[in-house]
Amino acid sequence: MLKTASPTRPKSIEDLLDSQLVARLGQLDITARKVLSGKLKGERRSKRRGESVEFADHRPYAVGDDLRHIDWNIFGRLDRLFLKLFLEEEDLSLHVVIDASGSGDAGTPSKFLLMQKAAAALGYVGLANLHRVQVTAMGGLNDKAEPQLLSMIRDLRGRRRLVDLVRYLCQVEPGGPCNFTEVCRRINLTRRGKGVMVIMSDFFHKAGYDEGLRLLVGTGYEVFLLQILSPQELQPDIGGDLRLKDCEDGDTAEVTISSALLKKYQANLTAYCSRLREFAGQRGMGYQLVPSSTPVDELLMDYLRRRGLLA
Amino acid sequence: MTLLAPLIAGIAAAIAIPALVILYFLKLKRRDVEVSTTLLWKKAIEDLQANAPFQKLRNNILLILQLIALCAAIFALAQPEVKSNSLGGGRHVIVIDRSGSMSATDGGADSKPGGVTRLEAAKKKALEFVHTMREPGLLDERGDEAMVVAFDVIADRLANFTSNKAELRRAIESIEPTDAPTSFVAAFQTARAFARVTLAEDKGLITSGGATIHLFSDGRLPDLEQLGQSKDLAITAEDKIVFYPVGSPDTWNVGITGMRAERAFEEPGKLSIFVGVMNSAKEPRTVDVELRIDSRVDAIKQVTIPAARLTESTTGDEAGGIRASNKLVTSSSGVVFDMVRPQGGVFTVVVRPPEGDALAADNNGYLVVPPAKRLTVALVTDGNLFLREVLDGLPLQKLDVWSPAEAQERFKDGATPAGYDVFVLDGWLPKIRGADGKEVPGLPPGRFLVFNALSSPPLGLIDQGPGEATTVINYDRGHPALRNISFDGLTVNPSRKCSIPPRSGVRSLAEGISGPLIVEATDVGTRALIVTFDTLNSNWPFDAGFVLYTAQGLTYLGSSSGETGALVLRPGQTVEQTLPPGAANARVGLPDSSRKDLLVSAEGRVVYGPLPKVGIYTISWEGAAGGTDTLAEGRVRRIVTANLLDPYESEVAAVKADDLKSLMPSNISTGQLQAGTRRLWPWFLLLALAFVLIEWFVYNRKVVV
Repeated sequence: MLKTASPTRPKSIEDLLDSQLVARLGQLDITARKVLSGKLKGERRSKRRGESVEFADHRPYAVGDDLRHIDWNIFGRLDRLFLKLFLEEEDLSLHVVIDASGSGDAGTPSKFLLMQKAAAALGYVGLANLHRVQVTAMGGLNDKAEPQLLSMIRDLRGRRRLVDLVRYLCQVEPGGPCNFTEVCRRINLTRRGKGVMVIMSDFFHKAGYDEGLRLLVGTGYEVFLLQILSPQELQPDIGGDLRLKDCEDGDTAEVTISSALLKKYQANLTAYCSRLREFAGQRGMGYQLVPSSTPVDELLMDYLRRRGLLA
Repeated sequence: MTLLAPLIAGIAAAIAIPALVILYFLKLKRRDVEVSTTLLWKKAIEDLQANAPFQKLRNNILLILQLIALCAAIFALAQPEVKSNSLGGGRHVIVIDRSGSMSATDGGADSKPGGVTRLEAAKKKALEFVHTMREPGLLDERGDEAMVVAFDVIADRLANFTSNKAELRRAIESIEPTDAPTSFVAAFQTARAFARVTLAEDKGLITSGGATIHLFSDGRLPDLEQLGQSKDLAITAEDKIVFYPVGSPDTWNVGITGMRAERAFEEPGKLSIFVGVMNSAKEPRTVDVELRIDSRVDAIKQVTIPAARLTESTTGDEAGGIRASNKLVTSSSGVVFDMVRPQGGVFTVVVRPPEGDALAADNNGYLVVPPAKRLTVALVTDGNLFLREVLDGLPLQKLDVWSPAEAQERFKDGATPAGYDVFVLDGWLPKIRGADGKEVPGLPPGRFLVFNALSSPPLGLIDQGPGEATTVINYDRGHPALRNISFDGLTVNPSRKCSIPPRSGVRSLAEGISGPLIVEATDVGTRALIVTFDTLNSNWPFDAGFVLYTAQGLTYLGSSSGETGALVLRPGQTVEQTLPPGAANARVGLPDSSRKDLLVSAEGRVVYGPLPKVGIYTISWEGAAGGTDTLAEGRVRRIVTANLLDPYESEVAAVKADDLKSLMPSNISTGQLQAGTRRLWPWFLLLALAFVLIEWFVYNRKVVV
């Protein structure tokens, strides 16, 4: 719950991904429940017919068709021109959104560090499978340490772009407020193609998360929500007479910690998380609550594989 | 439990407790904690704060702990204490018996001989009593004060009134046992003298009552009845006495109660040692009586002492009724050691009960016997037939009879004729030079048995002319010259009216109506027994006592001629000896082999005392020796012995509290000490501190985020 005074920031790829995890990630791929059309040729089967080696169907020749695809064996037998159609393989758009606001940086272990590691891991999976990978950081601070709405890196493809992905993740400086709705609107406007979107945040947005998520749902993304909370948020271990200060907007709340208050807090937290899960479920979004103490390999291999995001 | 300062505590509580609660309620100081969001907390507060103004105080363990700590501190400020029933506050006199019977070894919890001594038990009780004394409070000076008096035959004030418990404990622990007899009167006088005088700042010394005398003793107080008999010693309503008994009433003892050496008149070489032994057990006891001469065992005799008897006595109780009680009367027996021993020596008698007994001090007796000697006596008389006949009948070495005129020639210029042990002077005294230079009848250095003549002061009496007819009212039965003499039938008519001048070396041995009848005058070189009346004006010459007195007087003076021989004293008494001229570097060797230096006065006197223990005391010096002094290791030695020889002290059975009450006047109660905590405020202060620490611990556990 407390904002970490001097959080550990990853400096290199080794800080985000260890070699054992990379080896295991190489066997995984991003899965989408629907077959989505991509933009470039990739390794995922497309709805379209394309130029892969895998036969799909025949169709009558039409003027203008590529003569190279005429099945001359059929012409010889039937004396009619038919084209051979092959399955098309396209890429998948993987959009990872992490919460770089002040609240995202709170907790021990840091929620933001887990988001960075998870984004790097998911990005690697995407890159290794020739998907188009985009990572967006909601909020955060710019080079002048001023709050910004968002930052992103996009159109990454291929393993060699992992370096760029990691560099970006390492340079994101969390802090400041997060206007979740506005961020979602901006993502919606700048989207390219369809794909899978993973949003990692604590979803403690005072303006609400409903509108923003609704914007994202309509864009054709398969949205997956990872609500990452620190152990201190899940089980507050504080006492005494306190003035609680919101690390994003500076709002304060004077409390005298008592068992009744702690029970009430727990009940409110449970209700908040349940409502988010129900909201996500009603709109076809995946949802998973993840404590920030969860190791990143457990998050990927256990949580996300169980939820069907990875296979 | 009482509170010394309830008002102060009440005021403090009235201020501090509401203040703490209000401070808690209005507390503005909050610790800032940064959180990821206040979203859920605000909602929780809104849910909880509805209609609950005291919500903050509910289930607040810190406030409860602080309130407990505050209450404990306030209660400590009230200075609570639990007192034993022996204390009523105020002034106390702790009187501890250290006499011989207090050395009996039945002071333990089982009251069996062989344990701790009664004195140790009494000191322990006294220390417990000091522990129960109320201490002065923090904010006022009222507290119990006590003084410590230890007594045997004399009373010593070891600590004056103080509330300093450490000083009182030191005084009590410094009390050493003695073998002396008991005199409660001395202790009571001392205690009351100090108990009734108070030093007031604005009034000086004032007399006040109310001090309680706490008596720690076995109750063997032989002079207790005197308290009721004497007007000066009468116990008033102000004298509250609390008795703390020690020892067991069933303890028995065997001891020496009498010891004497006698030489036969006819054959001074024949020596008899008489030893009296007593038994206070309810069964007969057979004991070995061992005689040692100069540390060598000479004879052992076995004697069976009969059992002590129970006699019934009746006493009046407090309610005016008659109470019958059985009193144990000790039985006694004697042993005589006969021997032919012309030479003297140090005789030690040791009683050895096979079972052992409770008191060791009376199992040994010491006696110094001078060598046998026939006396050379000069009689100066005008023709006293009776005196002449008596002296003729005594086994003397030589008896010269002089008329006063002849004697005057021989005592010329105040010099004493040489070659005579004792001079018997009948109605005549030699002329000596007085203080004013005139010649007056007096006593020059020497030994004199004087009849019908008064020497002039300072070593003499003030003659006030003829007195009225008298009998002997009181006399010193223990004096060697008056031993075994009865004055019951003696009548003197007329007597001589005289008085003893103050601060003189004269003491009365027998008293009549008009003044002393027989006195002993002692000076540096002079010792005299003086009969103040004319024996021919009495029926004494026809009484056997006259012969006995003359014989014993001669023996007494003769044995101490040429400086003193052996002195038998009792513990508690003081040794006062005159050493020959030129004696220096005097010191006394004690029974425990330690030595103490003595100061020799200009007249050659040395004083040591009171004697603490029975045993042999050796006074030694460098210089000339007296007649009976011995030489050893280049120093002259003179031996003095101290023996208990007190049947009452040897009968060690402790007196029951009820019996003591019947002997003493009213106002005596039996004290029972209660052990346990007395001052509670330090404990409450510690409790407050403990709760503060717990509160600190809980607070630190709660504030960790």
